[in-house]
Amino acid sequence: MIAPTHPMQLVVGLILWSVWFVALYGGLSVGCAVAPPAEELGAANWLNLSLLVLTAVTLLPLLYWTRLCWRAGLSSQPGSTDRFIALVSSGVHLITAIATLAIGLTVLTLPPCV
Amino acid sequence: MTEPGPRSAEQIHREFHQVWRNLPGLGTLSAVNHTSLGLRFMVTGAIFFLIGGLLAMLVRTQLALPEQDIISPDLYNQIFTMHGTVMMFLFAIPILEGLAIYLIPKMIGARDLAFPRITSLGYYCYLFGGLIIFSSLVLGMAPDSGWFMYTPLSSAEFAPGPGSDFWLLGVTFVEISAVAAGVELTVSILRSRTNGMSLRQMPIYCWYILAMALMIVFGFPPLILASILLELERAAGMPFFEVAGGGDPILWQHLFWLFGHPEVYIIFLPAAGIVSTLIPVFSGRPIVGYRWIVLSIILTGFISFGLWVHHMFTVGIPQLAQAFFSVASMLVAVPTGIQLFAWLATLWTGRVVFNLPMLWIVGFLIIFVCGGLTGVMLALVPFNWQVHDTHFVVAHMHYVLVGGMFFPLIAGFYYWLPHFSGRMPSDVLGRWGFWLTFIGFNTTFLLMHLTGLLGMPRRVYTYEAGLGWDWLNLLSSVGGFIMAAGVAMIIVDVLLHFRFGRKAPQNPWNADTLDWATATPPTTYNFASLPTCSTRHPLWENPELPRTIEQGEHGLTEISHGRRETWGSEAVTGKVTAIFHLPTNSWLPLCAAASLAVVCISLLVRVYELSIVGAVLAAVFLLRWSWENGAHPAMAPPSAEESTRDLPLHSRTHDGPGLWGMVITLMANGALYMSLLFAWFYLWTVSPEWSIPDQQPLLMLPLLASGILLTVSALDFRRITRHLKAGRDSGLQAAFWRIALIGTLHVGLLIWVIAGSSLAPTELAHDAVLLFMLIYQLFHSGLAVILTALQARRVHYGYVSRHYPYEPVVVAPFWLYTTGVFWLGFAAFILLPMSWGGAA
Repeated sequence: MIAPTHPMQLVVGLILWSVWFVALYGGLSVGCAVAPPAEELGAANWLNLSLLVLTAVTLLPLLYWTRLCWRAGLSSQPGSTDRFIALVSSGVHLITAIATLAIGLTVLTLPPCV
Repeated sequence: MTEPGPRSAEQIHREFHQVWRNLPGLGTLSAVNHTSLGLRFMVTGAIFFLIGGLLAMLVRTQLALPEQDIISPDLYNQIFTMHGTVMMFLFAIPILEGLAIYLIPKMIGARDLAFPRITSLGYYCYLFGGLIIFSSLVLGMAPDSGWFMYTPLSSAEFAPGPGSDFWLLGVTFVEISAVAAGVELTVSILRSRTNGMSLRQMPIYCWYILAMALMIVFGFPPLILASILLELERAAGMPFFEVAGGGDPILWQHLFWLFGHPEVYIIFLPAAGIVSTLIPVFSGRPIVGYRWIVLSIILTGFISFGLWVHHMFTVGIPQLAQAFFSVASMLVAVPTGIQLFAWLATLWTGRVVFNLPMLWIVGFLIIFVCGGLTGVMLALVPFNWQVHDTHFVVAHMHYVLVGGMFFPLIAGFYYWLPHFSGRMPSDVLGRWGFWLTFIGFNTTFLLMHLTGLLGMPRRVYTYEAGLGWDWLNLLSSVGGFIMAAGVAMIIVDVLLHFRFGRKAPQNPWNADTLDWATATPPTTYNFASLPTCSTRHPLWENPELPRTIEQGEHGLTEISHGRRETWGSEAVTGKVTAIFHLPTNSWLPLCAAASLAVVCISLLVRVYELSIVGAVLAAVFLLRWSWENGAHPAMAPPSAEESTRDLPLHSRTHDGPGLWGMVITLMANGALYMSLLFAWFYLWTVSPEWSIPDQQPLLMLPLLASGILLTVSALDFRRITRHLKAGRDSGLQAAFWRIALIGTLHVGLLIWVIAGSSLAPTELAHDAVLLFMLIYQLFHSGLAVILTALQARRVHYGYVSRHYPYEPVVVAPFWLYTTGVFWLGFAAFILLPMSWGGAA
């Protein structure tokens, strides 16, 4: 577990986001190549559901880190580097979570392989 | 850490100059100093800009009226391809890198970058690569497939001449330069800040450059790989992008845009860094929302890698996948918006002085916001489909790139001009230059949006009259020439200012950062003494700093040892922990780059024997370079004076800049390998003619044995390194020879596997990728063995020991990486297909 004031916090959420994004696009492509769901099912199919679960699983640590870093930032000494890193990291994690949600929710609207 | 002495400022200067000066005459080509090389990058970039601009004027001349035949279709294709190539690869990135190379050490209170010889190598790779690309135009055989070189248009079948080869080899050469700059800027910003400059006190420009440098490290390797693969296809017939052989031309688009979209932000971020530096200075107050800006820089750096498919919305990708990239493309506007509002808030709450640089900043704000808005429009898939390949996209791209890069660049150029030359520009000429450029640019490209919406496709050399495009094109061309007049005005201003410009006072704009604490123009060593800095605004809080620095009242003033030195500090806190000793003038970078140019040119003319000679020469020069390190007499031999100092030289520690440089380089290398894995899986799942041979083409047992030997070597090397760190060095030389020997056996087995395989790389993309993977492995394994043998020799000469543990610590991650890619490759290229039912 990386400490909330560790500089890696500045990027760890976005690294997770990158992995999630690759898995989302790659999973969709491989799913469509291997076992494409029927078109008439629309967005309600195993592939979209899997991608939605993947999105939810990714959101959890991002939101947890947001809170963790925020609390650590507020309890750090004002003007310290620890406070700076924790508060910036908290903001990065929050916006990353929003980005994950915004992109991930599209699986509710469109069929996967059309 | 302060070493007070009775010397006068003049005496200090004389002593420092003696150690740091460039050699006179032709000897200046051996310079490794960041100030000299940063300026050379910028001047070279500016010359390429003028060439690219001239090509643009030819395009606008041809398109001014319908049905003109001033330029033939073939030549037109060459001209627009070269315009894009020159502007993107030879102007935009290098000139911004040059500015960063010039500024970063000054801003962080250092005397030079962490790897000065790499600065020099990077410059010569850029220069030679640029000349190779440009020579194709002079020879009338320039690439003509567009600056993005889409396959199959750029493949041997449709581009049989050498034009594509010039592009592929030349651009790869230039990209070596970019990656080199990315690595050294990253390490320098993280490890050589002056004492006390923690991350939160770094000038905001450094955050931008740190993000840019890391984006280069991860963003450029996909294109380097793609270029190598396409050149292999063209020269050796390996069908990576040919459907008939199991390849896929769309793979090129993926790899190109994996690089290409981050590149837009690689260009924008340093330019935005200029904006964030200038606005507070001309507003007379600190920037609003420093933390928010840092946050948005980091977000931009990552999210911009998730947009590449928005360049490919029309190639037949599922709508859901397009939705992912559409939303991501809109999301990237959020961090850009954060920066914009921070700039506006700073202007709103400050007392703005509209000096010449500020005029260009205002121009940037207007144009870039317009470009950003059309960017959001293009992120919408249905709209994107409608305007795809029209002049609307050309207009958008120029609004983003000229607005987002050129205007801030000129603002920064005018801002730092007194720093470069010690003289002030002409306000009158400068304002004429701005208004002509601003009016000309908008006349050209605002109207081009309409031309595009009316349906005019891009990349056509002429058009019929009466389609409603005539007057728009004419006005666009007139605007282009007005903009050219503006650029000419700037050039005149710059040339005249060297002769007639008013002498610049110290810190003429009342700036807050340490770059203005140097002399103007700066000395080769920047600072006679290195100050402690615990504020973001050192010159606002202590205007006396330039004087006290010059008089040697701060740290690291000792120079009698004759070494070039700067402080090495902790990445987060900026606390000084060591002294980085830096190399002096060296011919090795020039010789290495010239040898690589020989490789490049001989591959172009297909004289492969000569390319081998060039490669061997380059290897000799680079290994000699690595030899002159650490305790070598040409670098930092042991001396009695060392023991009198508070801090160790970095080569006496095991956490020097070399280790960081190696890790960052391996990140770039890993990005290239990941791109190869992407290519493998992409072709496997998407290519319609992908096929796997019936028989296993590789010798499995020797391959496995080879992997085991490699793993043994890497683990042994790691053990030795741990012992060194613990202060034990008994049997060190024998251990290195043992590792080199086991590594050689591994290499021998690997060669046996390659020679004994039944691969058909010119028939199957599958086999072509496998062969590429094996050669990649062989190169790394061979290099690891050579580096280890050199370590053994260095132990013999006393350059490596428990007192000098630095270099094995640098080589250790390379062994680890080489072993990691072996087993990753084994799993992805061999085990996974076998488990899926294939032969390999």
